[in-house]
Amino acid sequence: MAVVKLKGVSRYFPVGNKPITALDKVDLTLERGEFVVLRGASGSGKSTLLNLIGAMDDPNEGEVFIHGKALSSLSDKQKSQLRSHYIGFIFQSFNLIPVLTALENVQYPLSLQRIANNEAKDRAAQALAQVGLADFIHRRPNQLSGGQMQRVAIARALVTKPDIILADEPTANLDSETSKQIMDLLGSLNRETGVTFLFATHHDFVLSRASRILELKDGHIVKDEQLQNLNLVDQIASGEKVG
Amino acid sequence: MLRLKLALLNVLRNGRRSFITLLAIQFGVISLILMGGFFASMYEGMREGVIRSQLGHIQIYQQGFNQFGSQQPEEYLIDAEVLQKVTKLVEELEQVELVTPRLNFTGLLTDGSRSLAVVVEGINPEKEALLSSAVKLTAGEDLFEEDTDGALIGDGLFKSLNLSVGASLTLMATTADGSFDARDVTAIGAISTGTREVDNRFMRMNLQHAQELMYTEGVTRLVVLLNDTKHTDEVMALLSEVFQEQGLALELRSWSDLADYYHEVVNLFDGIFFVVQIIVLAIVLLGIVNTMVMAVMERTQEIGTIRAIGGTRGEVMGLFISEAFILGLIGSVLGVIFSILLAQGITAASIMMPTPPGSSQNYPIRIFTEADLLWKNGLFGLLIAVISSIYPAVKASRMVITKALRFA
Ligand SMILES: Nc1ncnc2c1ncn2[C@@H]1O[C@H](COP(=O)(O)OP(=O)(O)OP(=O)(O)O)[C@@H](O)[C@H]1O
Ligand SMILES: [Mg+2]
Repeated sequence: MAVVKLKGVSRYFPVGNKPITALDKVDLTLERGEFVVLRGASGSGKSTLLNLIGAMDDPNEGEVFIHGKALSSLSDKQKSQLRSHYIGFIFQSFNLIPVLTALENVQYPLSLQRIANNEAKDRAAQALAQVGLADFIHRRPNQLSGGQMQRVAIARALVTKPDIILADEPTANLDSETSKQIMDLLGSLNRETGVTFLFATHHDFVLSRASRILELKDGHIVKDEQLQNLNLVDQIASGEKVG
Repeated sequence: MLRLKLALLNVLRNGRRSFITLLAIQFGVISLILMGGFFASMYEGMREGVIRSQLGHIQIYQQGFNQFGSQQPEEYLIDAEVLQKVTKLVEELEQVELVTPRLNFTGLLTDGSRSLAVVVEGINPEKEALLSSAVKLTAGEDLFEEDTDGALIGDGLFKSLNLSVGASLTLMATTADGSFDARDVTAIGAISTGTREVDNRFMRMNLQHAQELMYTEGVTRLVVLLNDTKHTDEVMALLSEVFQEQGLALELRSWSDLADYYHEVVNLFDGIFFVVQIIVLAIVLLGIVNTMVMAVMERTQEIGTIRAIGGTRGEVMGLFISEAFILGLIGSVLGVIFSILLAQGITAASIMMPTPPGSSQNYPIRIFTEADLLWKNGLFGLLIAVISSIYPAVKASRMVITKALRFA
């Protein structure tokens, strides 16, 4: 089953009396384990697409399916639960909760799922170790560097074991060295966990790590390129060393 | 656990704002408790004053007195035999402190040159001294049983007749059989009941002397004093049952039935209290709503994040309401504590109140802090805090996620 499926999805925004078409009849299927880079000029519709897949926005036409469920059939509460269980988010500006420590930030989505405190703590610590922050779990966001904050955010997206992690320009606020490290981390997590990644970015160095490149222009997918290099399935098939 | 911790951390996050919210809640709780406690003390002062100066807790009359007695008081006297029997019955009850007879009539008091209409009360001085502990002697000496022709003159009357202690007066009255008689009395002292109207036309004398003047052995009423005002209803019920069993044609009135002025004042002040409550509620509500809305605006992106990572609308609402609950709890507890301290301080300072209208005595301010008043207003503070948070919480929960996330 496809992780994400879009059928004829359009999204208009009313601006003045002439609506802007942010997405125009987009069809798209994302499979498990894909590492998809979403490219396109500013205003091409990348964020709009991510928001629709993230069940945070509704299309004017067409249907989005996540985990086989048509989003239009879900209530707000059901969408929240869907996000909680099947989708992870990584934001450009990290969006950590400033009053919580790194551990608590990662624990929080599990608490939202009503998972018991101790289990949530263990899983959060594990996720932080996975992103290389085992020594920083008790720090507050303001005691962390940008790269570290984004790692906490990645751990937070990962900890619920989602089907797909959506990231809207996750490296835009980071210097290029840190950005590369973050991308390497995401790449290895993709291979280790098999979680699908979809991210919008302007950074070209990401391209070499992608298993698939999508390009948007004026709300249309103008390019959909499958690359063979880092696909999880291919890697396992070719017996390449993971990590 | 973590979700509650987040609420707590958010409260601590903006110390200044939380402090203002706490102040608003405390202001509400303290002002209501102090005002309520002051009114309660005032009510109690009035109530006990009127009970212990005039009314007692329960009055017993001949059947029909309250309906027809004002036209023909002499027809509705309790006769000596019934008086004895009833006194014995009433005294047997454990809630009763004492029971004493009174004979009331109107007369004309003259000092030779001027005459004034007076309400005369024939009393048993020893028992009345215990009952009327709130009646104050303002000149001369108290009345004793030996002072056969002695009289205590109402303060205002005493002054308006320009009397001095020991003055000889003549009291004229219509007797029980309809004729006219007079007795000499000596003004041995002046008294104040606390009610100016009464003090202007009131006098007391020995029951026996009054009965002689009226040619009767009966009395108008029996006044019962209980050891606690709260037993009034219970004893009323008990007595009416006993009287019925014994076939005694008597009727009962409680202090509350007789204290019209007390009820008027209580109603008036309860009305004032209600208005103040509304005002305080509005001030506190607006204060908290305002700061909460600011908190919501400031945390817009965070709200978007919580929603994005799976928080439901209910979760966001719950978060803000929990924060208000925490603030409400702290504010109310502090408010109650400060109220108690303030109430004790103000009471201890014995600040004198101006003389209340219609009263002839003044009292120091006292503020009661009954448990009832404390927990009700504490709860009120907590409720206001929670209610105030509903609008901001709903606002937060209804945010469009994508917009909230873009908010910097
Ligand atoms: N809430 C909105 N209201 C009005 N117009 C919007 C809204 N969101 C997006 N748009 C418009 O839709 C189009 C697509 O926007 P979108 O944010 O998806 O682009 P993007 O590819 O993410 O751009 P960028 O690279 O700058 O982030 C743009 O023309 C944008 O102005
Ligand atoms: Mg964008």
